[in-house]
Amino acid sequence: MQRTAPIVEVDGIVKDFRPGMGLRRKRVLQGISFEVQRGEVFGFLGPNGAGKTTTLKVLMGLIHPDAGHARVLGHDVGKAEYRRHVGFLPENPSFYDYLTGEEFLDFYARVSGVPQVLRCPRIERLLGEVGLSHARTARLRTYSKGMLQRIGIAQAIIHDPEIVFLDEPMSGLDPIGRKEVRDLILRLHSEGKTIFMNSHVLSDVEALCHRVAILVKGQIRFQGRVGDFLTERASDIVLQCVPPELALRVEERFGASISGQAERVELRVPEKRVPDVLQLAIAAGAEIHSVTPHRVSLEEVFLSAVHEEEDAR
Amino acid sequence: MMSLERITAIAMNTLREAVRNKVLYVLLFFGVLLIGTGVLVSSLSYIATAQILQSVGLSSLRLFGALIAIFVGVGLIHKEVDRRTIYTILSKPVSRTEFLLGKYLGLLLTLWLGVLIMATAFVVVSLLSGAPLGAGHAEAILLSAVELAVVVGVATLFSSFTSPMLASCFTVGFYLVGHATRDLRELGAHSGDVLVAKVTSLLYLGLPDLESFNVTVQAIHQLPIAPRQVILPVAYGLAMVIALLALACMIFQRRDFR
Repeated sequence: MQRTAPIVEVDGIVKDFRPGMGLRRKRVLQGISFEVQRGEVFGFLGPNGAGKTTTLKVLMGLIHPDAGHARVLGHDVGKAEYRRHVGFLPENPSFYDYLTGEEFLDFYARVSGVPQVLRCPRIERLLGEVGLSHARTARLRTYSKGMLQRIGIAQAIIHDPEIVFLDEPMSGLDPIGRKEVRDLILRLHSEGKTIFMNSHVLSDVEALCHRVAILVKGQIRFQGRVGDFLTERASDIVLQCVPPELALRVEERFGASISGQAERVELRVPEKRVPDVLQLAIAAGAEIHSVTPHRVSLEEVFLSAVHEEEDAR
Repeated sequence: MMSLERITAIAMNTLREAVRNKVLYVLLFFGVLLIGTGVLVSSLSYIATAQILQSVGLSSLRLFGALIAIFVGVGLIHKEVDRRTIYTILSKPVSRTEFLLGKYLGLLLTLWLGVLIMATAFVVVSLLSGAPLGAGHAEAILLSAVELAVVVGVATLFSSFTSPMLASCFTVGFYLVGHATRDLRELGAHSGDVLVAKVTSLLYLGLPDLESFNVTVQAIHQLPIAPRQVILPVAYGLAMVIALLALACMIFQRRDFR
């Protein structure tokens, strides 16, 4: 992907909330910084209460940060201009349920400044794209959760934005609903749009996102390309006919786990140490049963980021 | 720059919501019913039956207008935040001022439609009972509509930063105080104490005077209403609405939507 000016720049955002009526303040965002590049699908992960939705609300101008700067498309998020080019679907969206699907999209097209001549054809096209043409005249109160999520995505893109922010877009959906939303996100990305999504569903993030940031207790604990940690970084080695002294040496040097069967050693080592282990094993006369590259999952990275925070406390 | 199209879209959506809301119809039904009961109340008297009928009619119109203004107005913004519809609207190129003005105008339009329906009921009941109708009645209804614009402004202001419960308490308080300030000044003037008279007249100047929108007595007794008795309250109402909305916008601008 060609690297250009970031489409989203978050620099040292701090946000405090007062939990009740008292004067005590709770720091929700502790100076977070990250960037989103144009054209990528960016995943923003974190456990409940980490501050993901607060970050998204700062980017949408719904919450004013106490310190730091956030810019979208080069505009400060305090101004309204950049919102011509962004779409937003909040978590568990709730809409004007007395409107029909068609009226709902027409209302959002009007407030988004879509010219009158473009409104009807665009509503028609979007209803088709999100698979709701049949429900165009039904009131939103009769829509299922999946249908609401899809009409929510339609309102987010009614004005053809450059970047779409989605807060937990798969939340509460059944497998069919999740697939429909996933397909919609892929289609938006193929049309050149940048996607920023908060999500708990790690498998979806792994399948959709190019880069992720993991937020834990208001701090970014990890950020990077999904491809980087999904590439082979370690290998599982299984040795057989291992002399006892070799098993001891391997255990000491590489932390191998000895299996129940005699003379069998299983160990996981960083990729660069694989030749050392194999040389040692061959020299000691052991048999090399298998060498399997191990892929680190997003779940492991996520859990390790969360546990690091817990250990630090 | 503010966009009239965006404000209109939000106002029309607010109106549409009210039109599809059955509670409003129930309130309007009772308003019209009360205007109709003027016939019953006036039949209990041998004198001034037309005046009694019209007094009940115009008072019902003002009372039900104010009730709808307060109890729909106080939830105007809170409802949008509570059901999270505000998130998607403010994520569009809609400024908070445009949103607030759109909501205010939408509710005002709804109320004025309600006033129109109740005024029609009032005219029908007056005609059927043979009670005289004149320009004074139209002026009384017009000033009621202006008073409603002020009450909705107050409800919108409180709704922009507090809960519906507190907002309704404050708005009802404003309404009651607004109708008592003129009596308070009169009371002070007749107290015989210079200090009391000064304090009450200062209070009168500082507090709203909603009685200036009330020309019901002149209207039902066919007394002349001077143009300044209409123009000045309209200007006063307009100034109050502008001040209330400007304050509401300032507060709303700083608010976090958690």
